[in-house]
Amino acid sequence: MRSPTARWLLRRLGLAVFVVFGAATAAFSALHLTPGDPARAVIGLTVPSPEVLDQVRHDLGLDRPIAVQYGSFLTGLVRGDLGRSYQLQQPVSRLIAEQLPATVELAFTAFTLALLAALALATATAGRRPALRRISSTVELVLASSPAFWVGVLLLTVFSFRLNLLPAAGGTGVRGQVLPALTLALSMVGVFTQVLREGMERALVEPFVLTSLARGTGQTMVRFRHVLRHALVPLVTLSGWTVGTLLGGAVVVETVFSRPGIGRIMATAIERRDFPVVTGVVVVSAVLFTVINLVVDWLYRVVDPRVEEFG
Amino acid sequence: MPSRVSRLVAPLAAVAVAVSGCAATAATASDTLTFATDTQPDCLDPQVSSGDITALVDRNIFDSLVSMTPDGRFHPWLARSWTISPDELTYTFELVPGAVFHDGTPVDAEAVRATLDHAVDKNTKSQYAASLIRGYAGAVAVDRDTVEVRLSTPSAPFLQALSTAYLGIQSPKSLRDNAGALCFQPVGSGPFRFGSWTRNRSIVLHRNDDYRWGPASAEHTGPPRIRELTIEYVPENRVRHGMLTSGQADVVGALPPSAVSLLRHSADFRFLRADSPGAGYNLLLNSGRAPLSDYRVRAALLHAVRLDQLVSSIYFGQFSRSWSPIGPATAAYDPTVEGLWRHDPEQANRLLDEAGWTGRDAEGYRTRDGQRLSLKWPYTAQLIREQRDVLGQGVQAEAKRVGIEIRYLGEDSGTFIKDILGRDADLHAFSFVRSDPDVLRYLFASDQTSDRGGGNVFHLADPAVDGWLAAATASRDPAVRAENYALVQRHVMRNALIMPLYVPAYLVGAAARVRGLAFDAQAYPLFYAVSVGAP
Repeated sequence: MRSPTARWLLRRLGLAVFVVFGAATAAFSALHLTPGDPARAVIGLTVPSPEVLDQVRHDLGLDRPIAVQYGSFLTGLVRGDLGRSYQLQQPVSRLIAEQLPATVELAFTAFTLALLAALALATATAGRRPALRRISSTVELVLASSPAFWVGVLLLTVFSFRLNLLPAAGGTGVRGQVLPALTLALSMVGVFTQVLREGMERALVEPFVLTSLARGTGQTMVRFRHVLRHALVPLVTLSGWTVGTLLGGAVVVETVFSRPGIGRIMATAIERRDFPVVTGVVVVSAVLFTVINLVVDWLYRVVDPRVEEFG
Repeated sequence: MPSRVSRLVAPLAAVAVAVSGCAATAATASDTLTFATDTQPDCLDPQVSSGDITALVDRNIFDSLVSMTPDGRFHPWLARSWTISPDELTYTFELVPGAVFHDGTPVDAEAVRATLDHAVDKNTKSQYAASLIRGYAGAVAVDRDTVEVRLSTPSAPFLQALSTAYLGIQSPKSLRDNAGALCFQPVGSGPFRFGSWTRNRSIVLHRNDDYRWGPASAEHTGPPRIRELTIEYVPENRVRHGMLTSGQADVVGALPPSAVSLLRHSADFRFLRADSPGAGYNLLLNSGRAPLSDYRVRAALLHAVRLDQLVSSIYFGQFSRSWSPIGPATAAYDPTVEGLWRHDPEQANRLLDEAGWTGRDAEGYRTRDGQRLSLKWPYTAQLIREQRDVLGQGVQAEAKRVGIEIRYLGEDSGTFIKDILGRDADLHAFSFVRSDPDVLRYLFASDQTSDRGGGNVFHLADPAVDGWLAAATASRDPAVRAENYALVQRHVMRNALIMPLYVPAYLVGAAARVRGLAFDAQAYPLFYAVSVGAP
């Protein structure tokens, strides 16, 4: 038991390092392959003098051969040094450390909200009356296909501008968290519910459900104790999509709600070609992504022991 | 050891918290103000950043030597008086006594020297301030309150440059101690001291209770009326507007023109507007290559566009179309160019026929020798604001009506800058806020090409224009300056070298309880004299 798990973990860790390395390299090349002089882009169109421009090039290391730049980027990465943002005059690692907690907090709250809502909706509607199901899946479809931007503005208009219940901008603390987390959660609830319900409906026709019911276990009990566990497996598979949605959604939500966070940092950095910040955020996101996937795969083996044979 | 220190400090900290807690509860809505706007600074060192928002924020933290009012006149500020040598190469400033920086050090001649040196220091990597004082050749502290600033060539715009927040005077102690972190630790002598900055969220400034040296031009003296000024970064137009109407913000900046009529019809809000001085949003025509090297094609393009209708429909009547490269709020604006280029499609068609563009291709565009009459206008989304992309599409559609194709190309910033610097474009549009007509030199002088950091994108090199600009820069006689700047405006417009599009304005919405909001010469709001009444 111990040895295959250890071997699995070792292999997955190796894979994770490879993924992070790949993501970092891709970000580095994408930025350096796009045309134009990044020093120019960095400093904007109103450049005072060629000397300043040369100084910027030198500071960014752009006057060195690309292979040397790549080499120093990688060695920096290994040492945990993500470079320094020219535009923000700050080390990238400090910038990310400063902005990441707000995004993680938002993503975590939104994910929990979405999961709870989906659990409630799916258990309530799976295999039940068609009318109820149809209403529920229409709502889910609308939610899943509404852009977060639109949902955010709508929620703001109603709950902040009209009713003045919650603050619109700069939200920290519980009250500031509600609307942004809700906006992000709503974009996931639809998909979560659909996946969960389908899994539950498939499980509901399995013989073990009939057996349990025959033993006198109540509907609700059967649903929560047995069916849900089966239905959770496909949801776990979705984790990759979920992390992506959370990170991507954070960009939109952080903009609409004027929140600090890594999504906004990333969007501005791409717009302004702030190389060190873009690669830094990509690396950190890749690390987050692989760690979460690793944990999820581990959970997978817990939820469904059959997985181990293929893992 | 650390534990002992913290045991000593803890009771003190508790007292401090209790005191500040009292202050917070005693405070009413009337001594704090929240201003929400659409951008945030990249850096608060005024000599580093070129951002409009940096100037807006730093104006509260830093004082300048002189102040300039929108009428173009200069007033004492940190300098209570100044003299200019007959050769106009030496400016001597007498500093106001008693002014101190937020760190307690005095505002003296040494501070002025240190700030100007800091601006031109290569390591500062100044994006704007250094170019404002390009002729700066060093300063000497004659005594504690007297500083002599030397220039290498006479420069009439020098005082205007000094009046901007970009040349706000910094504490020399801070320049030394905070070197490398000046972006986050701005220390000036202004009416507000820097409190905190949460990136992507807000900047908090606190009243400087010792402030007694405000600009002579301000209606208010002494410390600011509000205790705390919060500048919130709210990029979404609708959200800023909603924050104002729901009372979550007292003042909002960069109001979208579409929101103006909503505020106008409410007694609870006020709407303020200041036309930005400097270069309006101008379309520069590349006369250096075909087909725009032909005057008739340039003239046809200017005649082809119904600019009045385009501008008023896109900006809900809040911005006006412009006739000159500089806006009416700029000194030396020449009203005689107004009406020079009216919509006249017949004339446009006649000019194009004359120029030999008589053929038509399948898509309806004019051709000559099998070549389509086609103009390249690159832009990058990063620089688009105020619906300028919609305006661009409008111009494109209008040009099509007389058979001119405009390829309005969205490009990434790298390609865009390459195209502009390589002059691989026929059209290029931008605006530039500056309260001195010297902005004309930035646009049209032959030594102000964009590879040298200027705005003469298409390398115009006309000795007559250079001559007028040099004469205007060298003279401090307003009449001489105005005359020469007028000649430049007329020349540029008569030769159809640019198509002026619109005059930008800074639109501000404010709750009716906010009083004393003023604008500086750059059309940015000033918070020094603001008070907030009971809600």
